[in-house]
Amino acid sequence: MITNLKTRVLSTAAAEPSPTRAAIKSRNKLLSLLAGTAGMVAFVIFALFMSDSRLVRLGGEVTPHHHLQRSVWLVVTTAGGALGVAATALWLALWRGRSMLGRSRSLLLYGTALTPICLFAWKVLCSMVFGYPMIEWPERPGLRCLSLSLLIAIGPLLTFLAVRRTAPVRPALNGASMGVAAGACAWGAVDLWCPVAALPHLLLGHALPLCILAAIGALLGEAVLKVRHR
Amino acid sequence: MGLETKPKVDAADAAMERYSNGDDAAFAELYDAIAPRLLGFLRRVSRDAIVAEDLMQQTFLQMHRARGSFISGARVKPWAFAIAKRLLIDDARRRQVELRLFSHLRGKGFAMTCQPAMPDAADQLHARRLEHCVQQRLDALPDNQRIAFRLVKEEGLSLKKTAELLGTSVTAVKLRTHRAYTAVRSVFRERPL
Repeated sequence: MITNLKTRVLSTAAAEPSPTRAAIKSRNKLLSLLAGTAGMVAFVIFALFMSDSRLVRLGGEVTPHHHLQRSVWLVVTTAGGALGVAATALWLALWRGRSMLGRSRSLLLYGTALTPICLFAWKVLCSMVFGYPMIEWPERPGLRCLSLSLLIAIGPLLTFLAVRRTAPVRPALNGASMGVAAGACAWGAVDLWCPVAALPHLLLGHALPLCILAAIGALLGEAVLKVRHR
Repeated sequence: MGLETKPKVDAADAAMERYSNGDDAAFAELYDAIAPRLLGFLRRVSRDAIVAEDLMQQTFLQMHRARGSFISGARVKPWAFAIAKRLLIDDARRRQVELRLFSHLRGKGFAMTCQPAMPDAADQLHARRLEHCVQQRLDALPDNQRIAFRLVKEEGLSLKKTAELLGTSVTAVKLRTHRAYTAVRSVFRERPL
């Protein structure tokens, strides 16, 4: 019976082609390139189209605070810190070390929960240190940043899921962690574009997308990464 | 002539490594290295030889599909057991849904009764009854306790490896195993040998 089973398993596997490590490597490189390009294209198109000058030309409203200019050092420091946090989030979400089971539950949970908090704290801290006014911009509640973040991050999130393919343990948590990592990358890009530092704006336009992406990641992770009887 | 100390490489890990690099013949070696233990585990947990074989075939198919993403140097057994465990849970859920759907058929013809085998001696009968009671007690346990108990006490996996496999802490595994063990022990207290 065991021999029959072995024959059955081997013949079923032989009938179904599966990519080798080399094939997966080149596929992953292509996917990463596509995701990066998609994110950048989304950022450039959105940022150009939704810039204040463009909106003025289209007959839109100009923000009364457009005279507020961020210093280059503030932009570099804020974006640099955000990219550092994003790199850590990516490392936590994608790098599995030498285990096929991935990271532990606590590490994934802490990483997912702490990434938005760190990004938010860094942004606020930089604004305070550089003396940048964290004033309200009523006409910029954060909806543009929210859409831009989601637009930039969705491509990378799908790529991360495609690269991972399967997670026999904690698929939802792995997906959430990937969502937050993609969102953290988007945060870095949006931060280059958005000068608003008001707390409600940061919460709605910058932090909320990370929570939404974590939720989307968890749902997709459960649907895509979970091992199923097929 | 010096003593050469080579790091001990598991046969299954080496076979999986070769298989993920494209050596198709290594799949049979991988099967030989893992299958007996994996099938034993699946049989014990599912208590159904046909289901166990089906799940094992599925486990190997999943490994075959994901061979390209196998991390170089990773251990294959915890991964295989994790896939098998996930498939077991998925299968049990599917069966529960099917049972609910066809609950109206459950009557005389559909009732599943577990009858002990014909004993040829009184002590064999007693042993079978005890085994049956232990099985019933294990069945009544929550899934997490039962699986932890099977992996630690029957499969002989270490607490650390079991914790890794179940995605929980060593303390939680200890607690689950202890609770299951206490439940099983109570059978022997109620029905002394």
